[in-house]
Amino acid sequence: MKHEIRDEKDATIVALEGDVDLQSSPDARKVLLECVGRKRPVLVDLSAVGYIDSSGVASLVESLQTAKRSGNTLVLVAVSEGAMRVLQLARLDKVFTICDTVEDGLKQVQ
Amino acid sequence: MGKRQSVSVSDASMPAGGEAGQAGQQVYDHLELLAAMGKDFASSGDIEASLKCAVEHITEYLDAEGGALFLLDDKGETLRCHACVGPTEIIGLTLKCDQGIVGRCVQNEIGEIVRNVTKDAGFHAGIDEQTGYTTRSILCAPMSVKDERIGAIELINKRGGDGLFEESDLHLLQAMSASAALAIHNARQAEALVEQERIARELELAAEIQRSLLPEAGADDFPVAGVNHAARTVSGDFYDFFPLDDGRICFTLGDVSGKGMNAALMMAKTASLYRCLGKTVRQPGRLMARINAEICETTTRGMFVTMVGGIYDPSTGIVRFANAGHEPPLFHDAEGDFHALPAEAPPLGISPTLVDGLGFPETELKLDGGVLYIFTDGVTEGYLEDGRELKVGGLKKLIQENAALYVKGKLNAVIDCIDRGDAELRDDLTLLAIDDAVPLDLRTSGKTVAVEKTPQDPIAAAEEEEFLLSLTVPSQADWLKLIRNAVSETARFCGCDKDVCRDIVIAVDEACQNVIRHAYGGSPNGEIGLEIIRRSDALVFLLRDFAESIDVSLVKPRDLDDIKPGGLGTHFMREVMDDVQFMPPPAAGGNLLRMIKKLPKGPDNET
Repeated sequence: MKHEIRDEKDATIVALEGDVDLQSSPDARKVLLECVGRKRPVLVDLSAVGYIDSSGVASLVESLQTAKRSGNTLVLVAVSEGAMRVLQLARLDKVFTICDTVEDGLKQVQ
Repeated sequence: MGKRQSVSVSDASMPAGGEAGQAGQQVYDHLELLAAMGKDFASSGDIEASLKCAVEHITEYLDAEGGALFLLDDKGETLRCHACVGPTEIIGLTLKCDQGIVGRCVQNEIGEIVRNVTKDAGFHAGIDEQTGYTTRSILCAPMSVKDERIGAIELINKRGGDGLFEESDLHLLQAMSASAALAIHNARQAEALVEQERIARELELAAEIQRSLLPEAGADDFPVAGVNHAARTVSGDFYDFFPLDDGRICFTLGDVSGKGMNAALMMAKTASLYRCLGKTVRQPGRLMARINAEICETTTRGMFVTMVGGIYDPSTGIVRFANAGHEPPLFHDAEGDFHALPAEAPPLGISPTLVDGLGFPETELKLDGGVLYIFTDGVTEGYLEDGRELKVGGLKKLIQENAALYVKGKLNAVIDCIDRGDAELRDDLTLLAIDDAVPLDLRTSGKTVAVEKTPQDPIAAAEEEEFLLSLTVPSQADWLKLIRNAVSETARFCGCDKDVCRDIVIAVDEACQNVIRHAYGGSPNGEIGLEIIRRSDALVFLLRDFAESIDVSLVKPRDLDDIKPGGLGTHFMREVMDDVQFMPPPAAGGNLLRMIKKLPKGPDNET
């Protein structure tokens, strides 16, 4: 798994790429929590995530909870088909705020 | 015998023989020559060199310009010059067996003096034409031993005098030819003997290799044992058994048609195929079908193998086997009754298409403390001490009489009755037994003896199952990607669309994660085994670990109203799969999880 963090005017955008699985989810968790810790809205770009497993989803959930506790927001954007299926299976598609594109996400957090 | 003594002289009367003193000298020289030739043949391992030597002696002794020794080939069709002396070199020259004067001499087994070859219609002038040499007269004597024609020695053009051979020359040549014939005959026999010994040694080596293909005997209380006594050095029978990693025992016994080296080689091939494929193909019927296909592809016409192959689970007492044209195995149940289990499929190597792609029919049998005997016809057709055949009745009697013995003792009791060491065996003797006589309290279920086919347990419904994949990986997270790819490809191969493939991957991946995280507690030193089996309407995923058995009651899908991280995996598995079940722990320990995903109905998936 690879990741890329870039700061836009209104949010930190973190793009995950590749498989977020048992092997890589600890890294994903670290990256996500670090972004959430910046006290700015976080957009998690999942467009390049081919596979995400329950541990990856757990990292997303933990990051969302951490953000909420500190009054921050976390939005999932451009969720790939594979990642969306897992979110649906976990019935988390209604728990997360999910936007189709990064632009939509940025509007969401303004 | 008289025939070979006869002499034919053509074209002229002979001068009278020499004086008495001269004759005595001749006889003496002649005997010396014979003695020298005999010694030469006896001491030399090289027949060709000895022949050359003999022809030189004879040609010189009888004062001829040239001499040649012809031998008939194995089939008696051609004469070939093996040694020659004189002005022309004709070694390697071949004639038809009746061509020329030498041919006639060999065919008639009569020595000849031809004083003028131009007047002999049988003379083969071709050689003179080739060599430019002029043959005037010929002296020729056949070589034979008993009724076996060996060849002839031919001398050409007597030196000095009138250049004609005399009758005394022929007598001498005949004596020397007879001597040479005997020497050649002896040398050939010695060579054959050496060859026989070499073959015997090689057979013994082959037998040693063959014995090494049989499994080593287990401990006395090991439930499976076998015995094989070869009627000749090598055997066309075989048996094998070996434990699988889940505690079950794979076994086989087979009989190749015929008894010679070809049967032994076929046995080696079949036994090796079984041992190799038996470790991955866990459905006996399918395994036999694979071996059948292999054998049919390469077998020599007319050879076939009858064989029983199966798997025995010591923890349940269940045996599942397929029988390809073999003698019906005998089941001696715990109550002492016998049940014969006849073959329902043809022998292996007959036709690749006789059995459909799904494999040979299987029989499942709960031994329940009984013993299953599989044997070759060498056992039932073996002779007892009183000359009668053992037959199945006799075998049953021996089995009953020795029922109290450990499995190896049971087998030896039968074998000892047939192979008493006092006579050659009629056929190879091979016997294999699976003894389920474990203490009753260790067995899992009641005493009913069930001999039934096509078990209802879906996991054992082998006739409708196709083994697709077996994968064993370390319990490490970095191997999961490999599993995901393999599962995805397998599902795609079975006609699943992209979404179903993705769902299946999620479920299997989560199941593997559970093994890594929970069963092995994160230890990287465990192993995860995955098997994928296709049924007519579903894919079956069997996930095996070797960790301590987990408390199945603790494995529950998470409560979805609670969105705390973790615990999602089991929910994913149940959500995606049509059936998720922990199976009873295998005999070797660990856990076995079975997940079933129904295949979409399609033209390829209709039953």
